[in-house]
Parts: sequence; structure tokens; C-alpha cells
Amino acid sequence: MKKGTIYFAALSLLLALFLTGCAEVVQVGTAMGEGMGKISKEDREAIDRMAKQTAKAVRPMTEQEEYYVGRAVAATILSRYRIYSNERLTAYVNSIGQALALASDRPYTFGGYHFAILDTEEANALACPGGMIFITRGMLKKAQNEDQLAAILAHEVAHVNHKDGLASIQKSRWMEALSILGSETARKLGGAEMTKLVSLFEGSVDDVAKTLLVNGYSREQEMEADLGALAFLNRLGYSPYGLTDSLEKMAREQTGGSKQGIFATHPGMDQRLTKSKSVIAQNQWPRRDDPARNRRFRELAG
Amino acid sequence: MKKKIWLWVLGLCLISSVAAAATVKVITQEAMIRKDKRFFAPALIRAPFGAALQESGREGDWFKVSYQGKEGWIHKSAVQEQKFQLSSLAGGQAGEASQDEVALAGKGFNPEVEKAFRDKNPKMRYDLVNQVQAYRVEEQRLQAFLRAGNLREPGGGQ
Repeated sequence: MKKGTIYFAALSLLLALFLTGCAEVVQVGTAMGEGMGKISKEDREAIDRMAKQTAKAVRPMTEQEEYYVGRAVAATILSRYRIYSNERLTAYVNSIGQALALASDRPYTFGGYHFAILDTEEANALACPGGMIFITRGMLKKAQNEDQLAAILAHEVAHVNHKDGLASIQKSRWMEALSILGSETARKLGGAEMTKLVSLFEGSVDDVAKTLLVNGYSREQEMEADLGALAFLNRLGYSPYGLTDSLEKMAREQTGGSKQGIFATHPGMDQRLTKSKSVIAQNQWPRRDDPARNRRFRELAG
Repeated sequence: MKKKIWLWVLGLCLISSVAAAATVKVITQEAMIRKDKRFFAPALIRAPFGAALQESGREGDWFKVSYQGKEGWIHKSAVQEQKFQLSSLAGGQAGEASQDEVALAGKGFNPEVEKAFRDKNPKMRYDLVNQVQAYRVEEQRLQAFLRAGNLREPGGGQ
């Protein structure tokens, strides 16, 4: 085989890998190719090596790994904030959240979706990878009805759907973890490898926690989470206006009418609102106002 | 030569899609196989993480599967198509572990790593994490909650 052809074959195999996501398939193909005398043994080995290396490089985190990162992120958050113990309110938030999770594009995760209320006046909502979602008491107070509360939770469910938390982990950490895990002979990791892996895990957890608590997501991630939220709300029969109403209210309160405060720290807020409103208009989604939902919201969270 | 290689690539993709049709593996801690393709359909059997289910069809977001003599439906987000049994069929390198196998075998960020992380960071409130995760909303209660709020039952990723 000429150099150019090998290069071309390599590119083709990369394509096959991305399409199939499986280096083993490539190995079967090359084994058959060699058996039929179509390619040489050396070529087969070179292609297999390349396929395996590429597979190692591209393996995403599994659901189970996402779960363990999420638990550690949650443990970090819960070492800073107390849980607000109110059985009826916790049940209420979990019922809304669980229904939204089932209506989402990723209804099941390794450990499932769980919702808890943090005992702080700070207004915030946080989604840990894998599906543990926190809403603060301060944020609960911002919601004026169940549909607005559902919108806040739906936005967080969308972040879990989109794996936005995991995306904030530095790529180099995951690559390094894969290189440790990839040593196929190491069925049982040695002490030094384990120590390194734990420190990479710790770094990954820090990356996510910092994004959730300090830096925030990108404007694009927030906008995508809004669009996801609108879809989930609509599937259940909640008013999509729950999202735009709550965003507008928060923006108004923070800024006192001027473009400061939350608009300054979230420069994409006005664009997010415009986008959500245009999606609602395009789909001609109605404004829903349900007395039964309003009543139970007033009783439990109002 | 170029044409031949492209044919190989196409062939490999086809092999992979055919192979994927037979078995799916549970990728959640546990998953429910249900009588019908609905979230609240009666549960037939619980399948644990890693269980291999025989797939016999798909409709929308649901896979028709059988497990331990029971046939029912499971949502696509709870399973992963299994692709790596092929090598043994074709006489390939069955003895080596692929990354998928390594991951499904639980090597990676796993309970062992979590334990080491907890030992290193004793102030982390894993006790509270477990408490939050232990909270369950019973299916019947959730259905009643939706009805009382004039909401629809979720159909799943329409």
C-alpha cells in the first residue's frame, strides 16, 4: 500500500469510527480483509492500532461515571448549603420535577432525577450531572405560580439532558483519565494510578462545581436550556409563559428597570427572553392559567 | 483502490448496525421492563445495571425486549446497544477489552474512586446526597398529581 492510500484508509476508518462508535467493528473488518487477502498483515495491524487509539480518545463519560461526578458535585454543594426540611414542599417540588424529567429528552439517567431545596435566601437553581437538582428557598420565592416554578425546574432538567455540567470539565483531565484507564493490562489499578485517577476526579468535580456556583454557563448553553424547558413544559401541559414570565420578573427585580444587575452578570438574558418569546409565538403555544395548580401552589409554596 | 476502501467502510458500518439489533444492555442503576410502551404502564420485571436484554423490535422511543422469560417494553434512555460481541463471532481479538467493555465493567469513575475521594475529603456531605437520592415519588402519586393539576402524562421525548 502506498503512503497516500494508507492515509486515505486512515481517514476512512476515522469516519467509520465516528459513524459506528466502535473500534471492535473496525477490527472485525480488517480481520476479514486480511483473511480475504485484500490487505496485508502490517496494514491490518496499523489500522487496528489507529482505530483503538481513536476509540480511546473519543470515549465519552458513561452514565455511571456521570453519576459519580454528579454525586461528588452534590456533596460539595451540600457541604456549603443546608437542606430545607419541609416534607410537603419537598414532595411538591419532586412531583413537578419528576414529571418534567419524564417529559424530557432523557427521562432516565443512571441514578434518576432527584430534587431538593437549599435553605438560603440566595436565588439560585443548580443541576448536578446525572440528575440531582437543587433549588434554593430564595428562588422558590421568586416563582409566582406552579407554572413558573416548573419552568425553573425544567430549565435545570434541560441542563442535565444536555450534559452541560460535564462539558465544563477540562478536556485534558478526561483525556488523562482515559489514558490511565486505557492500559488494558491494568485490570486492577495500582496505587499510583489510583491516586492520579482520584486527583483527576477531584479536578473534574471542581470544574463542574465552579461552573455551577461561580462562573455560570455560556449564553448558548442557557439559551438551549430555555428551549428544552419550553418543550418539556408544553409536553406536560404547563404554560410555556411560565419561563418567560419568571425570567422577566427576576430581571425586573434585580435591575429596578435598568440594564444592570442580573443583566450585567448574564449578558445574554435579553436575548434569551427574545428567543423564548419567538419560539412560543412560532408554535402558537397558548398561555395557560390553571386554577387547581394555582391553588396548590399558594397552599404549598406561596 | 479508493473505491474499494470506501466499500470496506460502508460494509463496516452495515455490520455494526446489524450487530446492534440483537442485544441491549441496561445502563441505569436499575430499569423497569413494562407491559406497554408508556412510563406508567404496569411493571413486569426489574432489570439491574448491565443486564443483557434480547431486543425484538422498536417503536418510537421504546424497545421491545425480553429478559428472564418476560417480554415487555423499555425506554431507549435506559439501555445501550451492544456492539462488541462481534469480534468473537468473526474470530477477532476477543480476549482484549474494548473501551466500551472497560466502561461497562465499571472501570473508570466508579465506587472505588468515590471512596478514595471521600477518604481524602471527609467534609463532603455524602450523607445528605444519599438522603436526597433516597427520596422517591411513587408512580401512582405522580399520576394523581398530574391529574389534579390538569396536566398530561409524559409520553417521553416526543
